[in-house]
Amino acid sequence: MSHPQIVVSNLSKTYRVPQRPPGFWAAVRSMARRVTQDVPAVCDVSFTIEAGEMVGFLGPNGAGKTTALKMLAGLLHPTSGTATVDGFVPWEREAAYLKRISMVLGNKSQLMWDISPLDTFRVLAEIYRVPPAEFRTTVDELAALLDMGELLTKPTRNLSLGERMKCELVAALLHRPAVMFLDEPTLGLDVSMQRRLRAFIAEYNRRTGATVILTSHYMADVAELCPRVLLIHHGQLLYDGALRGLGERLAPFKLIRLTLDAGNGRSPEPDALLPPGAEIVARENGGLTLRVPRAGTPDLTARLLSALPVIDLSVEDPPIDAVIDQIYQEGAV
Amino acid sequence: MTNHRGGWALIQATWLSWMQYRSFFFLLAFSWMIGPLIYLLVWSTAAGGGTVGGFSRGEFVAYYLILILVNQLTISQTTWTMGELIHNGQLNRLLLYPMSPVYNTLASEFAGKAVYMLFVVPVSGGLALLLRPELHLTLANGLAFLPALALAWALSFTWGYWISLLAFWTTRADALLTVEYSLLFLLAGQVAPVALLPDALQVMAKLLPYRYMISFPVEVITGQLDGAGLLTGFALQIGWLVVALAIYRFLWRRGVRRYTAIGG
Repeated sequence: MSHPQIVVSNLSKTYRVPQRPPGFWAAVRSMARRVTQDVPAVCDVSFTIEAGEMVGFLGPNGAGKTTALKMLAGLLHPTSGTATVDGFVPWEREAAYLKRISMVLGNKSQLMWDISPLDTFRVLAEIYRVPPAEFRTTVDELAALLDMGELLTKPTRNLSLGERMKCELVAALLHRPAVMFLDEPTLGLDVSMQRRLRAFIAEYNRRTGATVILTSHYMADVAELCPRVLLIHHGQLLYDGALRGLGERLAPFKLIRLTLDAGNGRSPEPDALLPPGAEIVARENGGLTLRVPRAGTPDLTARLLSALPVIDLSVEDPPIDAVIDQIYQEGAV
Repeated sequence: MTNHRGGWALIQATWLSWMQYRSFFFLLAFSWMIGPLIYLLVWSTAAGGGTVGGFSRGEFVAYYLILILVNQLTISQTTWTMGELIHNGQLNRLLLYPMSPVYNTLASEFAGKAVYMLFVVPVSGGLALLLRPELHLTLANGLAFLPALALAWALSFTWGYWISLLAFWTTRADALLTVEYSLLFLLAGQVAPVALLPDALQVMAKLLPYRYMISFPVEVITGQLDGAGLLTGFALQIGWLVVALAIYRFLWRRGVRRYTAIGG
């Protein structure tokens, strides 16, 4: 039996934040006696990840996603708990570990601003000791996958945000890391560029078997890339499993969209047919949207079709965005 | 984590970047020349046809022209290259590399100095032709100058580095830097050669580290020091370097621990 590549047990991180009421005298008083407040960012989180998995960290702003990711990348010491990645304790930051991982921070660049991406790549190749032949094949391969062409030799400052993000990804992959931490890799990019980068990350994972851990605000990133999600809220792990399962667990209902024939002058009403727990949630230009308990859906669909002049009917899961928003608002699964 | 190959590649790339702003760096280098140039003119005019405190006009010119070169080679810029990275969280980037972050600072150091020299060497060469310096160079003084210069650079770099590490704890190290600059101006042979300072200041200059960052190698090459002066000078220079290294190591370990505890 193989061991999981990433093992996290009871990991917690509490930030100690200085508290200072506004105003001059408060500032003076705080010099004598520092008042601090403990802000828990990650609380007692445990999970394991197998090599080659693609896992998404979901959660609203300030949920603790980035803190968790930074601990795994060795940038933060936990307050308590343990973690091993590929057999290493991340925050010991051994050179051998740092060569096995890579981190892309969507809001921080590692490209050198005034030289071309290719020149930055050469520096990184030296830092990570990538042999020249391997360096050339890797750059060629990644540049072809991302369709980079002459981007490589333009000064970085002349590149657009999307072009720069492509280069960031290549820079992060030159040393062929076994584990990639991607923190908001598609931040600020347009839809087609997001799609492009997602396809690239999926392809890279397929080709190399690298483990990918991703945080993103864009549900589409997570939905397309990650068969498994970890939902973090207020620092706690609320859910660990398939994204689909999250929807089912959180939203025990389906949506039935219905368009009825109003040709006889009197618009028919389905109200009488609805079982308990079902309701009409929207009415717009001849269409109706019903919210129905999952279990009762097939039955009701059959009854609607036989009793009403139905032109069109569809049964859908509620959009995952709405489901997640509900958790963010309510803070519970 | 020693990684000389990565460090060397970083130096080259940093130099390439900085060369694109050479006019800015030339201006910076020029601004650092102005102080010593003014004092060169003041003291050489004061000496006129005779001497002041044993210096002739031409000797003042030689002293200050060499001081300009040494100053530009040893001047500390780590506040901008390291302190800033700690402040704005860019240190994260460096902590992810399998390479000590000091390489990044060294890269800026070497690249920057190489850019300044492109400006300072021709300019001070031109000034030398114009102002006719008087230098009685002996082989012994010339040979002693090289280690004195290397140590002056190492001391200035390490001393500046530990000060920039204060950024781990406070955003207000600037006040300390202002004091440092004043002491460098006063006690490191810029406003006047240390030999011309009043007695009390001279004692301070010889005991504190600042003289050993700039004027000590200049005093060595211009033959102002006797055997005893040379030996105590080197001893104090090395002593302060050891102190600076110890402070650096102490602050770096604690600083990184703090940084990874509170997050950048």
